[in-house]
Amino acid sequence: MAHVAEIDLNVPDAELARLSAETGTGLSVDELKTIRSYFAQEGRNPRDIELQALGQAWSEHCCYKSSKYYLKRYLFHLDAPQNLCVIKEDAGMVAFDDEHAYAVALESHNHPSAIEPYGGSATGIGGILRDVVCMGAQPIALVDPLFFAPPTTQRALVPKGVKHPKFIFSGVVDGIRDYGNRVGIPTVAGMTCFHPGYLGNCLVNVGCIGLVKRSDLIHSQVGGVGDLFVLAGGGTGRDGIHGVTFASKELADDSDTSSRSAVQVGDPITKEPLIHACLEANEKKLLTGLKDLGGGGLSCVVGEMALAGGFGARVDLDAVHLKEEGMEPWEIWVSESQERMMMSVRPEQLDEVLAIFKTWDVTAVVIGEVIAEKRLHIRWRGEEIYDMDLVFVTEGPMYQRPLKPVYRERIVPRYDEPDNYADTITALLRMPGIASKDWVIRQYDFEVRARTVAPSLTGRIARETHADAAIIQPLEGSKRGLAFTADVNPYLVALDPFWGAASAVDEAVRNIAAVGARAHSFADCLNFGNPEKPEKMWEVSQAIQGLAHVASKMGATFVSGNVSLYNEGPAGACPPTPTIMGIGMIEDVDTAVTVPFKQEGSTLYLVGATKDEMAASAYFRLRKIEGGDVPKVNPYLLSAAAGCLAELAGAEKIRSCHDISEGGLAVALAEMCLGSGIGADVRLTGTLRADVALFSESNTRWVCEVAPEHCPSFEEMLRSRSVPVQAIGRTDGTSLHIAYNGRELADMSADALYVIWQQPLWEIMG
Amino acid sequence: MNMEKVVTVTIGLKEGISDPEGKNIKKALSLLGFNEVTAVTVRKQYRIRMDVADDAEAEERTKAMAEQLLSNPVVHTYDISW
Amino acid sequence: MRTEDINVCILRIEGTNNEQEMYDAFKRLGAQPSLVHLNEFSTLEGFQCLMLPGGFSAGDYIRAGAIFASRIRSTFGDELSSFVKDGYPVGGICNGFQILVELGLLPGDGQGVTACLARNDSARFECRHTILKAVSPKSCAFTHLIPEGERLIIPSAHAEGKLLLSGGSQAALALEKAGQVLFKYVDEAGDENAGYPWNPNGSPNNIAGICNKKGNVFGMMPHPERTFFKGNEHGYSGKTFFESVLAYIGETF
Repeated sequence: MAHVAEIDLNVPDAELARLSAETGTGLSVDELKTIRSYFAQEGRNPRDIELQALGQAWSEHCCYKSSKYYLKRYLFHLDAPQNLCVIKEDAGMVAFDDEHAYAVALESHNHPSAIEPYGGSATGIGGILRDVVCMGAQPIALVDPLFFAPPTTQRALVPKGVKHPKFIFSGVVDGIRDYGNRVGIPTVAGMTCFHPGYLGNCLVNVGCIGLVKRSDLIHSQVGGVGDLFVLAGGGTGRDGIHGVTFASKELADDSDTSSRSAVQVGDPITKEPLIHACLEANEKKLLTGLKDLGGGGLSCVVGEMALAGGFGARVDLDAVHLKEEGMEPWEIWVSESQERMMMSVRPEQLDEVLAIFKTWDVTAVVIGEVIAEKRLHIRWRGEEIYDMDLVFVTEGPMYQRPLKPVYRERIVPRYDEPDNYADTITALLRMPGIASKDWVIRQYDFEVRARTVAPSLTGRIARETHADAAIIQPLEGSKRGLAFTADVNPYLVALDPFWGAASAVDEAVRNIAAVGARAHSFADCLNFGNPEKPEKMWEVSQAIQGLAHVASKMGATFVSGNVSLYNEGPAGACPPTPTIMGIGMIEDVDTAVTVPFKQEGSTLYLVGATKDEMAASAYFRLRKIEGGDVPKVNPYLLSAAAGCLAELAGAEKIRSCHDISEGGLAVALAEMCLGSGIGADVRLTGTLRADVALFSESNTRWVCEVAPEHCPSFEEMLRSRSVPVQAIGRTDGTSLHIAYNGRELADMSADALYVIWQQPLWEIMG
Repeated sequence: MNMEKVVTVTIGLKEGISDPEGKNIKKALSLLGFNEVTAVTVRKQYRIRMDVADDAEAEERTKAMAEQLLSNPVVHTYDISW
Repeated sequence: MRTEDINVCILRIEGTNNEQEMYDAFKRLGAQPSLVHLNEFSTLEGFQCLMLPGGFSAGDYIRAGAIFASRIRSTFGDELSSFVKDGYPVGGICNGFQILVELGLLPGDGQGVTACLARNDSARFECRHTILKAVSPKSCAFTHLIPEGERLIIPSAHAEGKLLLSGGSQAALALEKAGQVLFKYVDEAGDENAGYPWNPNGSPNNIAGICNKKGNVFGMMPHPERTFFKGNEHGYSGKTFFESVLAYIGETF
């Protein structure tokens, strides 16, 4: 028999700790004491539903208690003229043109995917779509940055309770594919990164961008007293209970069986009409507020919507449509069942709203109304079972946790040049981090909606190469495009969180510049370990500062983001991973630039400066060399160089362009040959040793292919802004030929390069 | 209508129609070390609960469901069991 | 009939995904498309064309296109038969092709369901640009403006695109002889037998698109609406499909 239980908090600390574990609320002893004082003032004991609601709202996932301090201090104050409404709501809103805005959201679904990769990743997509829809925006693109342990990991090394990375990798891709393809939103960009530290701690970050008419922009707050709360979408069940508290603690070795209930189940065929119905109701101006049900379910959405408007709410829990029987009221309240949206509607417009949902075969029910007092009341079976102050529930604690810096000892490694450069280039191209990801990409419908003008696989059919950024032309009749990229190098962040994070922003900016766009906005997903461990908290604070170091000079800011902590389990902590999603704007998509070489006889340039910054490079990892310097970022140089390239591309002076990242200059050149079949005669000169010149991963560098008639103006533009530029050869023939300081180093056919690069992931995954 | 019957309709592929899903599953099994597997084919099963007057009606109606919706006669076979 | 008077019904249910770009295609050419949810559908009266877009209608549950087809059959099956008999154009792209096959309207000789769009040989969802060679484009209302032998690059994105006919390869040859095979997958050199990935699904005889005997019912797996603006060296693109059907309606009705 479902009922409400009263909980006595007037007990000793040890008992409080036991209570927290038993109820699964994840509240600390101190937090429970704060709650105890609050209820002492109220003159009563809390009920289980109230405690559960506090557990949700005060979880790391929902209130960012460990990271808020640093985010507010370093990142949130940054502003840019194109920002309309950022950080505060579920998606950041940025100007697209005078009449339109685009929405940006980036989230993580790490813990659920580690337990059940298919459902975890699918519901990650589901959730991020809702974050964009709740601003009234039509989703136009999905981005999936994914992080796994190498799929070739030996079975014996996988600890008890941890799934094999191959199973996780294919399950995650299956989930994203099946959900994204069915809702019909193209997954256009992303990254797949392999690092042993993700064993047991895979990271599934998902991003979404949407487009909305500025006049249709709706906020996640109620309009006024008397507004009705209308819950629409799938039924509420027991799936996903304690999803946020599960995400806010480390994984145990029995998490895979004990946490099964925390896994949500996605239903894209309910979601697809739900999106249509919500957007239609919004366009017809029938709503005062719209918000999605994500972490914490009803327990977060109602209070947050009411409080954001400056009001409170009264809820009738019996009205919630359920998909399971015999649910306890607290279960209904904190369930994270998928495919649900909350609307606030004026009573006189309710009938019209319900009619729209009926046409789309989507359930919509009134579950409450807005009241003036900033409190939340819930009635169930004729009794009031919940009565709390909304500010108390929603604000949550903020912690400035102790930090412990971890400084690497500087090692200057001694190592010889490789015997055979062609063999080294081959080995680099075969590394799963660099090799073709078409095994993943071809499973996603990246052209649905017919707006993908530059997909992530580009070049001649059946030999395409990776694009630096994908481009969507979202608006009918407008030539403007948005470019998307997702970047981070966790190997680098692990060595130096500040410069690693800064480098991730650099990478996003240079990918955007490579296609001819300008950096317009960013989103970050900070995936780190347990913040209660001072070394891990230090990583978080350093990374946030690294992001600010670069973003503050780019004229584009972080408009939205997510923090995912406690990514630790029986196999250890995940590598610190601040994922950056970069969005660029291009005025005319017809001037977009792609990676593959376009014709023979062009001049090739190296833009930027190469340094001996080999730490965390693919080359060092390949040869198992420790030490070296980490690549740093000069944000002024980045801004100047990226701006020049966007301008040159707009003036159609660049035939092809590719940023230099993993594998260095040699790999970048190979990738430009792959997708075209056109080779290059590269004659480099310099003072660095040959392997450093070829394989360094210094930031802020590109290879550009320029027609001879444009060379003078190309060089002039860059030099006038103090951007280093050096002619390094020309496109020629069908082979990549590299010489350094007169010494012949490698000669590899473009066809052979394609085969080397394209096969590895297929060989591993089948 | 005073009888509740539960029918199972099993849909399979006709002889000669390739089963790429089955082949893929066999490959995945052998990658896991189950080398004794020689073939895998995939079936889809629908379990249908119905209120009918008698067995004859159940059989007739289920056959119609199988033919009108659950199977495509070009590639599928179907099998009804109780 | 003038283009601006041509009304196109673009039918959808939950899971239909590609309706907007199909709508845009007709709109850009000056016709009057309407997005109609099956729950709001009343009649084909007043429409000169019915389109079934791509997507995952009803989640592809049971079989791709099966549920949407059976709901159409029960809602306006008879009216649809008359519509087809009267020569009005009916087009299905990707999931739409699957629906027309499940309705028995393609290859459509009135003998019930005689084809199936089965799972790709690779058993994977394949999102690829495919090169199509026009085999008998003149037979069909949707393709008659495309010259025979013309090659077009049109994106494909499907997991169940392998066209199987009852009667096997004999039936495929007969269909080609009857001029009902509109497109085949080829490689860069125009070779039909280049195999995977040029033919992404393993369709016997590399068939990518077909029409009925009369030429007014059309289905293809690749998506012309996704390549409206990007033409080949002769200027033919996805747009040509929509121009063709509007020209056909203009001349016929």
